[in-house]
Amino acid sequence: MPANSIGSPTDRILVTGSNGFIGTRVVENLLARNFTNLRLFVRPSSKLEKLNAVLGQYPAGKNCEIVAGDLLSREDCQAAAHDVSIIIHLAAGFEKSFAGAFMNSALATRNLIAAFLELDQPRRFVNVSSFAVYSNLKMERHALLDETCPLEDAPQERHDAYGFGKLQQEKIVRDFGKKQNLPFVILRPGAVYGPGKPDLSGRVGINTFGFFIHLGGSNELPLTFVDNCAEAIVLAALTPGVDGETFNVVDDETMTSRDFLAARKSAKPFFSVWIPYPLAYLGSVLWENYSKKSGGQLPPVFNRRRCAAEWQGNRYTNKKLHDRLGWKQKVTLANALKSFLAQYQ
Amino acid sequence: MTLRLAIIGCGKIADQHLLAFRRIGGCEVVALCDRELLMAGQLGERFGITACFSDAAEMLRTAKPDVVHITTPPQGHFSLAKQCLEAGSHVYLEKPFTVTAPEAEELIALAKNKNLKITAGHNYQFTLEMLEMRRLVAQDFLGGKPVHLESHWPYDLSDASYVGPILGSQTHWVRQLPGQLFHNLISHGIAKLAEFLGDEVKVTAHAHQSARLKSLNGQEVQDELRVFLRDENGTTAFFCFSTQIKPGLNYLRLCGPKNSLLVDNSSGSLIRHVNKPSKSYLAFFLPPLRNARQHLRSARVNFFNFLNGSLHQDSGMKELIERFHQSIKTNGAPPIPYREIILTARIMDEIFAQIKTPAK
Repeated sequence: MPANSIGSPTDRILVTGSNGFIGTRVVENLLARNFTNLRLFVRPSSKLEKLNAVLGQYPAGKNCEIVAGDLLSREDCQAAAHDVSIIIHLAAGFEKSFAGAFMNSALATRNLIAAFLELDQPRRFVNVSSFAVYSNLKMERHALLDETCPLEDAPQERHDAYGFGKLQQEKIVRDFGKKQNLPFVILRPGAVYGPGKPDLSGRVGINTFGFFIHLGGSNELPLTFVDNCAEAIVLAALTPGVDGETFNVVDDETMTSRDFLAARKSAKPFFSVWIPYPLAYLGSVLWENYSKKSGGQLPPVFNRRRCAAEWQGNRYTNKKLHDRLGWKQKVTLANALKSFLAQYQ
Repeated sequence: MTLRLAIIGCGKIADQHLLAFRRIGGCEVVALCDRELLMAGQLGERFGITACFSDAAEMLRTAKPDVVHITTPPQGHFSLAKQCLEAGSHVYLEKPFTVTAPEAEELIALAKNKNLKITAGHNYQFTLEMLEMRRLVAQDFLGGKPVHLESHWPYDLSDASYVGPILGSQTHWVRQLPGQLFHNLISHGIAKLAEFLGDEVKVTAHAHQSARLKSLNGQEVQDELRVFLRDENGTTAFFCFSTQIKPGLNYLRLCGPKNSLLVDNSSGSLIRHVNKPSKSYLAFFLPPLRNARQHLRSARVNFFNFLNGSLHQDSGMKELIERFHQSIKTNGAPPIPYREIILTARIMDEIFAQIKTPAK
């Protein structure tokens, strides 16, 4: 528990997206810290096996209140936020359309915060965002990416609905912070990996054409193991004096894309082709230009902005995470990889 | 003449309308409207449109659009279209045109009365292969009126972004429609049949829930539909909506007294079946070769359409919107005859009455 934690174990904490890949680990982290008054928000259609398995491991798990609802419903948000002092907002939209991503990320967040602010003293709103909000277009290859780096200013051109939703979500959170004094913290996890998420990060490559194209090459990956990421999220919810701050979440120990792919293949081999970055960039330029010229006959799924953001390569830092939240990497890379790769056996 | 356009309803489909406007030209978007102002704002931000409204009446009063494209959930179609027509705007209504056939009839009567145009978003009627089919039918390729029609429309339940929210909420707008999932999805497939059927159609419909949907906790929602139709002239038709048939079938078959056609919307193909009997064992060799030639022709046509930039995935929508706007500019006939819009709505009403999806 951080010193002078803003939450005590009996405080009611709401976790949205609690049944998700990161959400279940956040719940487990809170239960391990003896938090006994959790409200867990899930979609009505969710299958709760994973969440129930976590709750079953802790005596306080039986006290958790599972609330099914839709964050696009103001009534459901009010029911979820009632009598809650801290919200950890993990629920995310993975819609392919911009409007869908906006609805499920930004509108849902607006509804949730509006309900939260109806309370007298909301203590902390933790907004879990993503590295997808960063732009790399004007940065050098392998430049250091930290919390001060430029954000994407043309997500439509990048053809990235998810990133657009996350950008708009952050904007709404900041607006509430500025205009209505919402005490918030924004976390931007890098490439989160772990058991329960078999797909490789798009920063490693894509399998759009029926086989895996490795595009990350020797780039460092902004890896964060799911339990380490959950630790950062919980610390962001409890640590005093960080309102209004943004934190990138990456582990101390990371790997190159090539090494990560090799490790993945060692568990279950598959065919892949490596394309060096200059070639990937050239292909993206040609694709983007043709898309424009043909009036969108081919959607601009490959373009300069996406290529730069995902495959240009950066170096990463978690200094702020260490300094301000006191975060430490709980799971070593070796153990994390072992756990990650076990899912393919 | 540049048409001044507005969109009411800034959800997923609105993006496609705006992209189509860009390709058509001869129009400018003067207003976006959504009950949720943030939704109008996000669309405006991405497409450079600043006039955003959350109230349709205020938008109509302020922006005075020539044409309003209504892309809201269907429950709002009737009242919004009526409001727009009464304000003097032409209306493009996304599918399904209205919730019931009487509403469709009332809107069309109002449009005629006001000397305005209205159309339904049956854009799959205007894909490249459908246009080619219509050209052949006009040339009497079938050799007369169709004897029998078949229309298949698929839906893939693995797209959780659509079906997930529907199953997740009893109050989701799709669950509130009389025909639920079918109501929002089958109008394209029914409209293809309505084009070739007479006005008096007998309908026999059966529906059930697939095991797959049941495993997804589908509750009362049905996802498998079969319909048999027969018009006053004896033309018969079969409609199938399925989430289970793989690969998903999306086609229209027109069986004529002389020749037949198969329009495959999933591959953008048009296959001509010419009545040319072969002697003896040649019947096992020549017809397959003729079919292979037809498929090769479709591949070649698609390839050249791609090269000349006309094989857009939403080419039907662009064509329909362009024809609708043109009909307004020239005061010509609307692209979809009103008879077909009303017949589509009537057939759907009858289907939903027969399958007795629990009314909400």
